[in-house]
Amino acid sequence: MTAQAPPTPRSSGPAPAGAGRAAVGWSGGWSSRARAAAARPWLLLAPALLVLAVLLLWPLVRVFLFSLQDYGLREITTGEANWIGLRNYGEILTAPELWTVVLPNTVGFAVLSVAGTVVFGTAVAVLLASLGPFWRTVTSSAIMAAWAMPAVTGTYVWVWIFDADRGVFNDTLMNLGLLDDPTNWFTNRWTFYAIVLLNVIHHGFPFVAVTVLAGLLGVPKEMLEAAEMDGAGAFRRFFSIVVPQLRQVFAVVIILSTIWDFKVFAQVYLMPGGAGSNRSVLNLGVWSYVESFGQNRYGFGSAIAVLLTLLLLAITAVYVRTVLAEEER
Amino acid sequence: MNRTMRRSVAATAGAVALAASVAACGSGGGGGDESADSLSVWIMQGTNPDADAFFDEVATAFEEETGATLDVEFVEWGDAHDRFVTSIAGGTTPDVAETGTTWTPEFADAGALAPLDEYVSGAGVSDDLVEGLVEAGTYDEQLYGMPWYAGVRSLVYNTEMFEQAGVEAPTTWDELEDAAAALKQEFPDKIAVAVPGDAEFTVYPWVWGADGEVATLEGDTWTSHLDSPESQEGIEFWTGLATEGGYSSQGATTWRETDVLDAFAAGDVGMAVMGSWTPGAIVEANADMEGKFAAVPIPGQDGGIAPSVLGGSHLSMFETAQDKDLAWTFLEMMTTGEFAQQWAEQSGYFPGQVSLLDETLASTDPLVAPFAEQFVDGGASVPAAPTYGAVQAKLTTSTMMQSILSGEQDVATASAAAAEEMTNILNGAG
Repeated sequence: MTAQAPPTPRSSGPAPAGAGRAAVGWSGGWSSRARAAAARPWLLLAPALLVLAVLLLWPLVRVFLFSLQDYGLREITTGEANWIGLRNYGEILTAPELWTVVLPNTVGFAVLSVAGTVVFGTAVAVLLASLGPFWRTVTSSAIMAAWAMPAVTGTYVWVWIFDADRGVFNDTLMNLGLLDDPTNWFTNRWTFYAIVLLNVIHHGFPFVAVTVLAGLLGVPKEMLEAAEMDGAGAFRRFFSIVVPQLRQVFAVVIILSTIWDFKVFAQVYLMPGGAGSNRSVLNLGVWSYVESFGQNRYGFGSAIAVLLTLLLLAITAVYVRTVLAEEER
Repeated sequence: MNRTMRRSVAATAGAVALAASVAACGSGGGGGDESADSLSVWIMQGTNPDADAFFDEVATAFEEETGATLDVEFVEWGDAHDRFVTSIAGGTTPDVAETGTTWTPEFADAGALAPLDEYVSGAGVSDDLVEGLVEAGTYDEQLYGMPWYAGVRSLVYNTEMFEQAGVEAPTTWDELEDAAAALKQEFPDKIAVAVPGDAEFTVYPWVWGADGEVATLEGDTWTSHLDSPESQEGIEFWTGLATEGGYSSQGATTWRETDVLDAFAAGDVGMAVMGSWTPGAIVEANADMEGKFAAVPIPGQDGGIAPSVLGGSHLSMFETAQDKDLAWTFLEMMTTGEFAQQWAEQSGYFPGQVSLLDETLASTDPLVAPFAEQFVDGGASVPAAPTYGAVQAKLTTSTMMQSILSGEQDVATASAAAAEEMTNILNGAG
């Protein structure tokens, strides 16, 4: 997922040659033609890059500048800047709840949910690949419904299922005699996150399934047949042939899932107690919302956003490097 | 208006809001209207089901009196705080706006609101305003929010369940506990008294009822007293109904006021602290409940009335108003006399002018009179600090309640932690 240079055209047709001549004017010769050829794609990309710079880069810079200020309602009204250097960052990194509650919750949850989403999504993709066209369409429409459901709606459904007094889950357990009195699953850190995990995996697996399915269909049949002739079983074929072929696909889904699962907000905030009244379930998303927007401390919130971006960039970089290194081997 | 209440109002008025949003399309504009022959006003959506017709009438009367046109824009409660902040930043605030009672000190602190004391005393209504609302609208000893309307929470109970269990509406805490015990015996599968964990305004009456305080201001310093012996006694009683008596439910540990309303409307709850605006919603949710519930003021520990928070709205004048006298004419028209009364009647809230309440107080309706009594004799305000919104956002009180109800902490530990956090945030050391 590194930014690759746009492909250089192998042969210059009549029209690009015309454009090339204009650039050649000051130098001439083979090397300048190559230089012009290398510059051409960037020239064509320039308008898009410019728009991206305005829409993405400038807000990023602004967020960074806010993170160096004590920026609240008063600063917004008066328009005065109140620079405090790195004090926001210092406060974040020395906050005890960040290390004891917020980060463990966020990282632990992200690891489990990425693993769960990718494993389950891949299993579903393998199932889909083995189905005939009719059942594949039916099944993929069904999982698409889970994907299309907004996170808010999905969360309320899970909350309703696990509701202490009227939920289906407690009812079933009590009817089966496994539970004597209703239990409130939302007050305990572990059961709370188990429910969030179900919710996030349920919402996230269809994307993995569809993406991996596309990759699976691209694995050459000949290779699989050859392996089968050589006596490789289904598992061996999957892990030795299919998985290496899909390394790029897995890189994409794992990185995207990691980014999404690190930033989980609505699925936690909307759960009973998840908005901050149960401090043991705070994650990075909810914590930063409560501490910044709730307290009108926009500078503090910006600093959290900057740290989160750096963290995700680091994770992505490490992962991409590992994948590339494996490929070179 | 407080956050919890906004949520319940929003839920209450689901269909109403839809109707009002249609109305909102009809009246555009607002914001930065510069000419002084018109007045721009922001009003929160969903309080009055018939807001459109009401403001048509006000606009006619206003134009007759001043010759200026009225430009009303309806704003959603959910978006309103952000819209205020951005418009304050951009200098595009309206001339006059409805501000929730807990927002008024915050916007005043930001320098966005104009003080109203001179106008109020000029109009001679200083002594005729509901005290809890004046307290909430006062910042730095000046009035920034003109009391407009409010509601109050009292003890609402299921009369059918009470009759069957053979108990009367409680007037002291001992009676309340006895009633809960009798209800539990008669209806073991129902909730005798709902003790919700995420509803701060159902907690403070018990703190005040035991002569405790939420927070007080001395000089420039706020101190929370949630951990004083009196406050702890009140919290102990209220949470004890759930943790020791088992009169509440496991689920209630994470309930908000809207959940209490749902359960009460389903006929599953014997009694609960609920707002004066909820009876309509209860009947709307379950028509069978009509005539089967009543209210009493929240009892004090040994009788009397325990104070309860007045949740409602001010009308505030912004510093950007071009013609402040014109703005005041509108404020006075809306918050006193005929229109104030009419608004209160249509919306189901109480007006902010004491003399208008006399008629309401004379009512014998079991769902009006007790609330009115609570409103006048047992109305209180949350700490009128610009930072109180930050305390609410941090859910300090709900955190305390939830950790007590779930059995993680005892009252002493949880209330000490809550008091420390509240003191810190109120003094701006979030």
